[in-house]
Amino acid sequence: MIKFKLNGRDVSLDVPEDTPLLWAIRDDLGLTGTKFGCGVGQCGACTVHVGGRATRSCVTPVSAIEGADVTTIEGLDPEGRHPLQDAWQEIQVPQCGYCQSGQIMQAASLLRDYPDPTDEDIDGVMGGSLCRCMTYIRIRKAIKEAAAAMKSARTEGDSSNG
Amino acid sequence: MIKRILTGVVGAGVVGGLGFLWYAWWPAIPKIAPVQPGQFSAEKIERGRIVAAESYCVECHTRQDGGTGPELAGDYRMQTPFGDIFSSNITPDPETGIGNWSEEALRRALHYGVSRDGSHLLPAFVYDHFTKMTDADISDLYAWIMTRPAVHMTHRPNGFPLSISPRITLAAWKLVFFTPGLYKQDPSHDAQWNRGAYLAEGAAHCGACHTPRNLAGAEKVANHEYDGGVVDGWIAPPLNQNNPTPVVWTEDELYQYLRNGVAPLHGPAGGPMSPVAHDFLATVPESDVHAIAYFFADKAHAAERVAGDKAAIAQAMTDSKKDLVGFSTDPDARLYQGACGACHYNAAPAPVLGRPELALNNALWLNEPTNLYLVMLRGLTAKEGQSGVAMPSFYNALSDHDMARLAAYLRRTRTTLPPWTDLEKKAADARKLVEEPPVNSSH
Amino acid sequence: MGKLERIAAQQDRAAGRGLSRRGFVSAAVGSSFLFGFARESKAAQTYPLGAPLPPPEFEPNIWCSVAPDGTINVNIIRAEMGQHIGTALARIIADEMEADWDKVKITYVDTDPKWGLMITGGSWSVWMTWDVFRQAGAAARTILVEEGAKLLGIPASACHARNGKVTGGSYSISFGDIVAKAKPTRSFTADQMKSLPLKPASERRLIGKPVKSLDIPSKTNGTAIYGIDAKIDGMVYGRPKMPPTRYGSKVVSVDDSEAKKVPGYIRYITLDDPSETVPGWIVVLAKTYPAAIRATDLLKVEWAAGKTAKVSEKQIQDRGRELIAKSDVGTMIFNDKGVDEAFKGAHRVLEQEYTCASVMHYQLEPMNAIAQLKNGTWEVHCGNQWQTLFLPVIAKALGVPEANVKMVSYLLGGGFGRRLNGDYAVPAALASKAIGGKPVKLILTRSDDMQFDSIRSPSVQKVRVALDEKNTIVGFEHHATAGWPTEVMAGAFMEKGVDGKPYDQFAIAGADSWYDFGTMRVRAISNDLAKETFRPGWLRSVSAGWTPWAQECFIDELAHDLGKDPVAFRLALLNGEGPEGRNKGKAPDSNGGALRQAAVVKRLAEKAGWGTSLPKDTGLGMATTFGQERGMPTWTAGAVQVHVDRATGVVTCQKIWLVLDAGTIVDPDGALAQTEGGALWGLSMALCEGSEIEDGVCRDRNLDTYTPLRMPDVPEMDIEFVDSTEKPMGLGEPGVTTIGAAIGNAIFNAVGIRLRHMPVRPEDVLAALKAKGAA
Ligand code: FES
Ligand code: FES
Repeated sequence: MIKFKLNGRDVSLDVPEDTPLLWAIRDDLGLTGTKFGCGVGQCGACTVHVGGRATRSCVTPVSAIEGADVTTIEGLDPEGRHPLQDAWQEIQVPQCGYCQSGQIMQAASLLRDYPDPTDEDIDGVMGGSLCRCMTYIRIRKAIKEAAAAMKSARTEGDSSNG
Repeated sequence: MIKRILTGVVGAGVVGGLGFLWYAWWPAIPKIAPVQPGQFSAEKIERGRIVAAESYCVECHTRQDGGTGPELAGDYRMQTPFGDIFSSNITPDPETGIGNWSEEALRRALHYGVSRDGSHLLPAFVYDHFTKMTDADISDLYAWIMTRPAVHMTHRPNGFPLSISPRITLAAWKLVFFTPGLYKQDPSHDAQWNRGAYLAEGAAHCGACHTPRNLAGAEKVANHEYDGGVVDGWIAPPLNQNNPTPVVWTEDELYQYLRNGVAPLHGPAGGPMSPVAHDFLATVPESDVHAIAYFFADKAHAAERVAGDKAAIAQAMTDSKKDLVGFSTDPDARLYQGACGACHYNAAPAPVLGRPELALNNALWLNEPTNLYLVMLRGLTAKEGQSGVAMPSFYNALSDHDMARLAAYLRRTRTTLPPWTDLEKKAADARKLVEEPPVNSSH
Repeated sequence: MGKLERIAAQQDRAAGRGLSRRGFVSAAVGSSFLFGFARESKAAQTYPLGAPLPPPEFEPNIWCSVAPDGTINVNIIRAEMGQHIGTALARIIADEMEADWDKVKITYVDTDPKWGLMITGGSWSVWMTWDVFRQAGAAARTILVEEGAKLLGIPASACHARNGKVTGGSYSISFGDIVAKAKPTRSFTADQMKSLPLKPASERRLIGKPVKSLDIPSKTNGTAIYGIDAKIDGMVYGRPKMPPTRYGSKVVSVDDSEAKKVPGYIRYITLDDPSETVPGWIVVLAKTYPAAIRATDLLKVEWAAGKTAKVSEKQIQDRGRELIAKSDVGTMIFNDKGVDEAFKGAHRVLEQEYTCASVMHYQLEPMNAIAQLKNGTWEVHCGNQWQTLFLPVIAKALGVPEANVKMVSYLLGGGFGRRLNGDYAVPAALASKAIGGKPVKLILTRSDDMQFDSIRSPSVQKVRVALDEKNTIVGFEHHATAGWPTEVMAGAFMEKGVDGKPYDQFAIAGADSWYDFGTMRVRAISNDLAKETFRPGWLRSVSAGWTPWAQECFIDELAHDLGKDPVAFRLALLNGEGPEGRNKGKAPDSNGGALRQAAVVKRLAEKAGWGTSLPKDTGLGMATTFGQERGMPTWTAGAVQVHVDRATGVVTCQKIWLVLDAGTIVDPDGALAQTEGGALWGLSMALCEGSEIEDGVCRDRNLDTYTPLRMPDVPEMDIEFVDSTEKPMGLGEPGVTTIGAAIGNAIFNAVGIRLRHMPVRPEDVLAALKAKGAA
């Protein structure tokens, strides 16, 4: 029995220890927003957060996340209104959309480490997330827009706190 | 920690025929009636818990293969070239554990490597370190052990073929390689240093893994103390100035590593080192962990070498971006970009905690790619390395050839050291060390 | 009848319906039994997901309906794979209907025969639907105005529809209220539909205006449902175990003793496939997908391999060369009178050979399908681009009538032509059949997916020109060989050449250019070895992704040879004339002809600063073509700026410019997105990706060796659409077409070397630089 937190809720799973987290999330826990792309940790479609860090779930065994906090695209924001999600809609980023859960989760991790990312930071961190529809230009733009929105939310927060 | 250090113990047989029976013979210490747990004060037991944690008793006295066994009940499998051996039950069970041992028996075992019945213990039980422990610490330890739940359990039979009397072999080994004696304070150093040295050389037995061993399996303390060793196939890196990482292990880096399992400028603790931090040193007084870090920073002359760190970090921040920023058609670079870059990219001024910087990481700067390979193959669980975060297992995702490509690429682009050799074969060797694929993925 | 109408009619005839697609539209109008069907189709995916079934509605035709609450539903028969096609198509109906856009919903329907030809590809969707949907919208508007006028008590002639309301004087009533109160049932005959007045372009309020695509929100929060997300109670999981060759492999023995040790393993099934789609395949079933993965890895199978087990890419290309050298094979697409004489009497003949490597789809969602037998009907749940083509194949594989098979559509995690080939549905269906129709969810791992991808065939092309003493072009030949996808999968839909022989238009389009060469011969040749070795596929922009590599590089070479400016040289050839005036163009699709292509070239030259000097080893190159097909041209001109690193041979693309004339742009942002993606595909195929056949199968099995373009490889881009009210053409693919050749030409302008193999690899650049230095 493997126990962890999924999107803030305690879950326990009775599956073999070597089950990839991806399939546990999709098939056993029923959240299909996390996608299967390459299965070998090289496309980013299956990216979730483990302990707040972007992690490729297709090659992460459930045994590795015992006790950890896992967040999927469904849990990134309760309303689906994370600034990145807003920016993604505003800039109309997705085409087929299949990579986008992973892109957004990876980008959220990027913004945590680099709240004001340069083009290099975006390339460096997002370079592992393949978008076969090649929505890259818009991903870049949306990340910057979300970063700006988060920044202004922070400064507003600061000033309202006096 | 002590898993494969017995290499060569059988070689000790060559000195076995020298007629040291007198030396070899120890009397049995009489059995005692079961100890009443109530006789120890809570403070004493707590002090004992700390001593036990600083000695990692639980680690080697709890079964790990085929499911975790009852704590301290032994049956922990240690692989040796001569066969597997299994640790003993040290719960207070009178029949299968040490329930009928007196405190004196425990002290003798720790100080002299002799069992209650007078037989010699294998040096996998690192009495060459425990011999330095104070009587007071052992007394506290005894209190803690005797208040643990008794578990009736016998370990699997050792597959360790000793062709001649173990008593003579081990006695001979001890005669040559074992110097009993309590830790001696070094007056040229301050109290913190001495505390660190006492722990590191005694209970915490750092040298057991980090000092290379001779053919007879004994630590080469004379000339190679803390030069690094091999344990469970992992390279235990040098803890002295021979440690090759570009940024020195300062006291602060060491402290974070030992306490939290991750050092921002060196990377996370993987393999056998991970439980040292998480299961043990995270639970002892901070001051003890500081003392160990202080001691090793001194051993490695960190203060004298630290001036170069700034440049090393700056260089690493440039190297970190190689092929992740801008267009590259190098197939190995593209593999790195797809599989690794998203988590290992860093930008000036310094690496982000949680983005282990490979240009600074121990694994890339060691003489062999073993640790790099083992981490690729096994990944890190949320309990290992940096707590709560995980690194995936690339066991099924990368072929030996792919691993070799990555290793060569990283060594070439992220270090200034000569290339590793025989990379594909070494990848296959490392794969063999991982018994089961950690994750059921497929190419 | 246009080409696609022909295809539709053929298919309908083949299905014994005797009705053209248009016939279906009119037959459906006002036909009461269809109401039932329409309601049932709601079970397919709707947005937002899980929305309750709407109350009884007004359905002026099968394409749209209006509910009493004002919700307008538009039925979409095209696959959604990133083009936001539902949004674009719904805009067409909604605009003509004068609907309130905020009330518009879209439904992706199942494969009921009433929908006619279901195909999504060739950048056809908007172009194919444009007339039908405008008529459908006009029908709805006409009825709503009539009924609304009655309710308002105002003559219909004094009323008009606008933004979801019918207004007369100072009174108005919403579409929803009209439906609720009047319960309209009126319908039109086909002829009436055709004669309904359509709005003039100046009155369009939605088409061409910015819009947020309806499919996007669900693609940002994980709620979008793709084929791989579909679930059916009680389903088991399957993974195929694939034979060593695509065709002709036979299973000799199977040993599942190791597989049996995997917890959850159920059994393996050696497929018996009357449709011959998946010969020699085995499916492994398990309770979970990870168990199926592991058990498949552990299943030991011995096959007698087919005869192509040792075939290499080079052998296929050499076979292509052999075929080109034979004058009596292939099909002539153009074979102008006098072309032989032109070459015979030429003062000078120049010729070059160009090759392109295999390219893999790597659509991000690996192939998958669920099949089950439910109430006597075989249901196949998956994302697919050409249901009309593969439904009969599935029926054949199962040995049941087509009427007993239904395909249920989902979002596609990328199509790019891969899912025009529905082969992956067959093993799912056969595996389900083997266990009594219980639901089987079959998923290919990525390496399964790539092993037998329907790749873009490797190709060899030879281009020749005949020049007279004055260096005037008097004749031109373009010969192209490749594996032909249409021949293999949809033979009945091949076109006929001028010599009456069939050919695959998707393996030659782009070579039949709008240049006036005096006389021209264009010949398409099916590479038989390619066809035997793998299943050639349609891949984004099909042949237009590689024929310009030959023709547009060659034109550039020619211009340089003749000392002419490549832009001016092309403009002179794009004169709108040609033999029998064929480059003048025809209304409505190619209205204006080659002169529209010349216009985009001119505009591109301006934008890209053609002729300005650039830093050392940096060059600008351009190419032009006409999108997908001569019959539905999207006039395209592209330029790139590259830098060539002489030390490493690495070619970096710094900027891309594109100018396109695709007629009316229905959804400007969607059009831009498609073109951005297309251009980067072009760049990826030119510099980053490309595979090879090795031992009869695709060498690359995953991203460790297959390296499509990623974020840091993206150059600056400047894309412009010509303002136009002409009929809309396609935009899914034209972005791809010019980039490869533009890169080849830019490399020449940067460092003076000509590369004639795509993708351009650093080692080829270094070798060419060395050869040039040595010469
Ligand atoms: S599916 Fe996990 S990285 Fe591609
Ligand atoms: S949007 Fe289709 S793969 Fe990224």
